[in-house]
Amino acid sequence: MQDQFTAAYLETIRTRVLDPQGGFTGQAGGGYRADATAWVAVALQAMGKETELLNAARASLAALQLDDGRVCLSTQHHDTFWLTPLAILAWQGASDYRELQARAGRFLLATTGRHWQRSPSLPFAHDPSLRGWPWIANTHSWVEPTSLAILALRITGGAEQERVKEGLHLLLDRQLPGGGWNYGNTKVFGQELFPFPESTGTALNALKGMVPKSQIQKSLDYLKSRLQDVRTPLSLGWGLMGLASWGEKPTEARAMINECLERQKRYGSYDTASLSLLMVASRAPQGLESVFTK
Amino acid sequence: MGHQENSPCRKGWSRREFIGASLAGAALGLGTYWAYRRFSATGLSWSFAPEKPAETFIAKAPRYQMDLVSLILRGMQELRITPQVIQGKRILLKPNLVETREGSEHINTHPLVVRAAVEAFLHLGAARVLVAEGVGHRRDTFMVLEESGLAEVLFEDRIPFVDLNYDTVFTMANSHRATRLATLTFPDTLKQVDWIVSMAKMKTHHWAGVTLSMKNLFGVMPGSYYGWPKNVLHHAGIAESILDIAAAVKPQLAIVDGIIGMEGDGPIMGTPKAAGVLVMGRNLPAVDATCARIMGINPHRILYLAGAAGRLGTIREDRIRQLGETIAGVRTPFALIDTIPAQQGIKL
Repeated sequence: MQDQFTAAYLETIRTRVLDPQGGFTGQAGGGYRADATAWVAVALQAMGKETELLNAARASLAALQLDDGRVCLSTQHHDTFWLTPLAILAWQGASDYRELQARAGRFLLATTGRHWQRSPSLPFAHDPSLRGWPWIANTHSWVEPTSLAILALRITGGAEQERVKEGLHLLLDRQLPGGGWNYGNTKVFGQELFPFPESTGTALNALKGMVPKSQIQKSLDYLKSRLQDVRTPLSLGWGLMGLASWGEKPTEARAMINECLERQKRYGSYDTASLSLLMVASRAPQGLESVFTK
Repeated sequence: MGHQENSPCRKGWSRREFIGASLAGAALGLGTYWAYRRFSATGLSWSFAPEKPAETFIAKAPRYQMDLVSLILRGMQELRITPQVIQGKRILLKPNLVETREGSEHINTHPLVVRAAVEAFLHLGAARVLVAEGVGHRRDTFMVLEESGLAEVLFEDRIPFVDLNYDTVFTMANSHRATRLATLTFPDTLKQVDWIVSMAKMKTHHWAGVTLSMKNLFGVMPGSYYGWPKNVLHHAGIAESILDIAAAVKPQLAIVDGIIGMEGDGPIMGTPKAAGVLVMGRNLPAVDATCARIMGINPHRILYLAGAAGRLGTIREDRIRQLGETIAGVRTPFALIDTIPAQQGIKL
């Protein structure tokens, strides 16, 4: 029997599907959102159902893939390839998309951000020479796109790739001295910046099992404490998955998700990507990776 | 999906015409000329004429818990923003939301200033007022809204909010070309309003020297297309990007929250500075130049303002008519940090 969230989720996304393309909008009546579509595909995999909607979502992402393997927000914006890891996750486990998925993986392995050598004269503390992945072409590598790329490559068997190892190194280098991650700066002009739950959760998912727990313990501590009063979908969804990936999912996780969903009475219905992320978080016992290894 | 590519835009157009141009594409021609003529007849809100005189309104506002609506209405009156001008208009208020920290009133535009602006526009007959922002560092916009206190105001007053980071978009040629960016991509919401109001926070900034009404426009650029942070603009040049975006978006009004600003290592890690002012004006370079002078900063030493001077407006003190308080009457020098290059040598 479906739980209330599952039923409401399916009802909501059915109002946001675009026919005949099969992609999803961010909100009812809105325009196509490739990232929302990818997250719906991941959520449906986590739920293990709705093959028709899932296939349609996967097909719509396939239409966005360019010859070099990148998947962008639109075919007119080739620089916005941060969607590529999400497309890899959306296509996971579907034999029809194996070649597209492999091509996307090759693109990630061949692609990096803008990097330069570390120098004492630079105003920031992190090592800018470490290569990860950027949000947008020709910009620096940042925490969340690097984490997503690592997750996508790991889930498709690329955990031993040198680029993955360097990406993990980058994430550890960008971890804040006090614990947690933000978008990707640690100190600027000598001041330590503040962590964000959503970035911390994403990085912890990418690092799952790849580094000793002692190296990320401060970040787990930060996240456990911070999530006590966080009930917004992006931070809560990634935060819960970050803790779950290290075996520390709070026992009250389900109640926290329900409280977050309740806030839609105040804010209106959440966007498709956020709702899907919450659905994934509710069904990922050991973090995002566990959705694909059930 | 609402994408339009490579449409022309020329200096001298209003933002509304400019956005219309992106839709019309190459088929503009004579129609555009008439659109320009039509809007010119009512008076351009922000002329690109070099060094055209501008007006800036300064109000003393020692605290947030006061009648800010009346202050803003007075400023609008002084700036000749009458009910006839606003009647039926759709207004987009763009506050500065960056990050949140418990008990910090000095990072983001204060929710009570936003509420006051909403009420002022509705009082003047606006058809609709919405708040929109594409938060620069955080992807969790809801959390920033909640922790900044803005969510409470939006909910209580039933004010719609648009997350510009995830809006559908249109793309148009970057005709100003201070940067090398060939095109600029904007949220569709910008096309659906008549006025854009930059509601900035008065802060020093460790890359730009200051962040005021023009730098605040980084927040209209969707994170989905520019990243978190909006690193595309950093690599293109911060000052140059400010100019290109301002020339394209061309807001009709700026309201700068200087009640409690930020000095030192802004825009996030600096310390609160109570300047006790609201600064308003329809020419953004003039507003920012006035704010800089209040902060004890020479606007001619701020790269983006120097670049704007004579192209997007005036920053010359003798060309800006000050309404309300005088600069000298409210001057509150903001602390600068010697080791931050963008803050070196900018003191008045």
